[in-house]
Amino acid sequence: MSKGKDKAWFALFTVPLLFIFTTVVIIPFIIGIYYSFVQWDGIPANPKVFVGMDNYVQIFQDERFLSSAWHTVQFTLLALVCVNILGLGFALLVTTKLRSRNAARTMFFMPNLIGGLILGYIWQFIFTDAFSFLGEKTGLGSIFFNWLLHPQFSLYAIVVVFTWQLAGYTMIIYIAGIQGIPDELMEAAKVDGASLWQRLKSIVFPLLMPSFTICLFLTLSGAFKIYDVNLSLTKGGPNNATEMFAMNIFNEIFAYGNYGIGQAKAIIFFLIVAGLTLTQVIITKRREVQM
Amino acid sequence: MKKVKKVLSVLTATALVATLAACGGTSGTADKDSGAASGGDKLKKITLFQSKVEITEPLEALVKTYKEETGNEVEVWGAAGDAYSQQLVAKLGSNQGPTIFSVAPGPESEKLKSYFTDLSGEEYVKNIAPDMELKVEDKTVGVPYGVEGFGLVYNKDLVDPANVKDLDSFTKLLEQMKAEGKNGLSLSQEAYFLIGHILNTPFALQSDPLAFIDQLNKGEVKMADTKEFQEWAKFMDAIKANAKNPMEVKYDSQMGDFATGKTAMVHQGNWSYSMLADFGDMDSKIGMMPFPLAGNDKLAVGVASYWVINNQADADEVKAANAFLNWLFTSDTGKKAIVDDFKFIPALTNIEAGNLDPLSQAVHEATNSGQTIPWALNYFPSGIITNDLAPATQEFFMNKDMTGEQFLQKLDEVWAKASK
Amino acid sequence: MKKTGKWLLDIVLLLFAIVFLSPVFIMLINSFKDRAELYENALAFPSSFSFEYYKSAMEKMNFFTALGNSLYVTVVSVILVIVLASMTAWMLVRTDNKLSKIIFFTFVATMLIPFQTLMMPLMQVMDWIRSNLHIPMLNTHEGLIYMNVGFTSSMAVFLYHGFIKSVPVALEEAATLDGCSKLGVFWRIVFPLLKNITVTVAILNVIALWNDYLLPSLTLSDKGLRTIPLSTFYFFGEFTIVWNQAMAGLTLTIIPVVIFYIFAQKYIIKGIAAGAVK
Repeated sequence: MSKGKDKAWFALFTVPLLFIFTTVVIIPFIIGIYYSFVQWDGIPANPKVFVGMDNYVQIFQDERFLSSAWHTVQFTLLALVCVNILGLGFALLVTTKLRSRNAARTMFFMPNLIGGLILGYIWQFIFTDAFSFLGEKTGLGSIFFNWLLHPQFSLYAIVVVFTWQLAGYTMIIYIAGIQGIPDELMEAAKVDGASLWQRLKSIVFPLLMPSFTICLFLTLSGAFKIYDVNLSLTKGGPNNATEMFAMNIFNEIFAYGNYGIGQAKAIIFFLIVAGLTLTQVIITKRREVQM
Repeated sequence: MKKVKKVLSVLTATALVATLAACGGTSGTADKDSGAASGGDKLKKITLFQSKVEITEPLEALVKTYKEETGNEVEVWGAAGDAYSQQLVAKLGSNQGPTIFSVAPGPESEKLKSYFTDLSGEEYVKNIAPDMELKVEDKTVGVPYGVEGFGLVYNKDLVDPANVKDLDSFTKLLEQMKAEGKNGLSLSQEAYFLIGHILNTPFALQSDPLAFIDQLNKGEVKMADTKEFQEWAKFMDAIKANAKNPMEVKYDSQMGDFATGKTAMVHQGNWSYSMLADFGDMDSKIGMMPFPLAGNDKLAVGVASYWVINNQADADEVKAANAFLNWLFTSDTGKKAIVDDFKFIPALTNIEAGNLDPLSQAVHEATNSGQTIPWALNYFPSGIITNDLAPATQEFFMNKDMTGEQFLQKLDEVWAKASK
Repeated sequence: MKKTGKWLLDIVLLLFAIVFLSPVFIMLINSFKDRAELYENALAFPSSFSFEYYKSAMEKMNFFTALGNSLYVTVVSVILVIVLASMTAWMLVRTDNKLSKIIFFTFVATMLIPFQTLMMPLMQVMDWIRSNLHIPMLNTHEGLIYMNVGFTSSMAVFLYHGFIKSVPVALEEAATLDGCSKLGVFWRIVFPLLKNITVTVAILNVIALWNDYLLPSLTLSDKGLRTIPLSTFYFFGEFTIVWNQAMAGLTLTIIPVVIFYIFAQKYIIKGIAAGAVK
């Protein structure tokens, strides 16, 4: 086949999606970059004043932004570990021959079906009402108290809710990965007398590397961008202890009306996060086993 | 190769469906437009977008009646309460803004003022009660929804308003309630109910609240150096020492505790009546009194939202919008809906108040007799209550060692940062 | 011994799943309570199971219109994104050059942009298309579908890209020798092998789009166009929530996706069984 023909095929396969993607994501993003250099309140009829790097300079004097970035980093690391351990654990359990696997699979996935803000409100009932009830009944007042009033524990509370919601999501991807592992391989290992842990370590985990890459990245990007749960569960409180990055940007844009600064924050954070996650993807990709 | 063809045909079909669907959309809107324009003396269809979710249903019903009575159409859009302003901005920004929309006074209307149509010449605005209209440069641009007021909502069985007149008697009451195992005064964790409303009083008591806010923004005065605020801090100390920590109270539980007699007073507004009503009839048991700071004997009364007309709409739409507002504020059906269905305390002199609940009654009487202090909080810098003052207040209530005086300094500090 | 162990594991698994589901349980029980009862105890069983809040929630939401709108938007968006993203991802994997690497990383990187920073410019771009090209991108389902495809494409390409790499190239080469065109190779050989990941992409996107509030709220204004999440706004005031109707509305929202998920999951399992026989 000729080179030109290959190019035509390439275009036929990719251009339709690329066109949509460009108009919906790329162009608005570029416009957004432009806005990060202007001073503007976000109201279209009001003037935009070009201020160069001023917005970027201001960000680094904004302590609250810096601490929200730090909360986000803490949250993301915790969430990354919890979501993936639980998601993988679920996936391993429900792909065994257990009788309850089908029911369990549906139940683990259910939290994911509840979207949006109300989820945070439901969890408020749990952290306030249910926890104080449990604390009284079990006497474990040091574990079961209102987490949302404690600066550190309210962050953990968001981790819990996020994990609850996303573990089933990653489970689905891990299941798809586990199912891709040829049965013969496992049977052969079993016949050779490999223990469960050995089988996991030397067959399952290496072959799951593509799923790991995907799940880690999805959790990472989800965690960095967390907004809904943050808003409905803690509204950034107590005393800003759980204000995450997306909420900080959102407030800058919609509450204070500093559109340009908000955009500049988003760009900075995007650059940092993109740098970090791409490194992560490259590292895990190196470890993937080619079939 | 047969299969390839099949695939190709599926693909073309999908693409076709997509384009066809898009075309369908085009012709649909075109039809709508021409239909409206050719309707003789029928006015152009307009859209209405507003922030108060609670009145959406009666508003939809009212619009239906409007169509039956006049033949003109109004479409009511909807948004969840806290998503309204952001959606409004996005819609205005993409030229798909509504014809009539609602704005809050202060920073929000300041930001959006370039969209307001001048209503000064309209008949219905002449009936707006003195100083209740929204003005931009001496032109009337907005009509008030209604008046609202807040203060101390109390349980008559537990509190005698004659005994809550100053800091001492206020503190005494809280102490007494605490001794009886009740909560003397409940705030709640939502930013406005935690700090926004209660902080309004010392501002409103300044001789010129707006000038004071301006000076505060410029750093020329400090709350910590101002008499009313110093006393206010002592009130906050008394609340912190004797009442339940408001961080553990949500608006729902605040009203629940009040309705069931566990709480003697709440710092709330007449809007909270609708929640109390869900707990049964308690009209004879509740009342509203002023927050007794520095001898204050007035309720805080103001307007939370105004109707405005979008000047980006074309002339026919503006005409239709004026016709609708005129109908709303002058026809019997419209006036009745405002009072009975929206349950507003009217801010137009040609509308009689309906059967008011006891809290609204208190606000209404205060308004009529002029015994009110303004809502200075409307003029606080944009977003400050939720994003700066509330966190500082959370710290005050969470940190056992923090005194009212330190709290006041903290408020000065966050104010300075936010108003930069 | 092995048998009892398995039983025990079964029970532990189910118990764990039940604890995991407790928030859903809280949602369900509170959809039957009035405000006073909810205030009394949010965790207790309701005193009666009347479906009045479901009925009133359905009426307010105009449920069946909203259901139809949600179905249309979700199904068309997901089909389009599956078709387009799988094709794109396959080409990107199989064409080993700089351009396809750049394209792939652009897709991946944009997954990190918070939507809030794109929304204003996006609305402006769509408004520009509307006023200059006369294609109604705003306040139409089709415009929303277009944007949905754009926003879900990164994740779909990312997922397909990851899994296509494990599809042996040899099969494709054989088919090419047999005279299949690229389209033929893709749809006859490759796409069927991607069944598992396709179902996964479908499930994840169906859920995300079904529950989406922000984007539809910005683009759809007319009452008749509202999707299910948009129609629940009646229950959310700025300070208060009509809890019972909100919870009932939420339950109604998720029932269709639960049914879809159970169905889709059976499909995955069948796919596995078929694969195992080979």
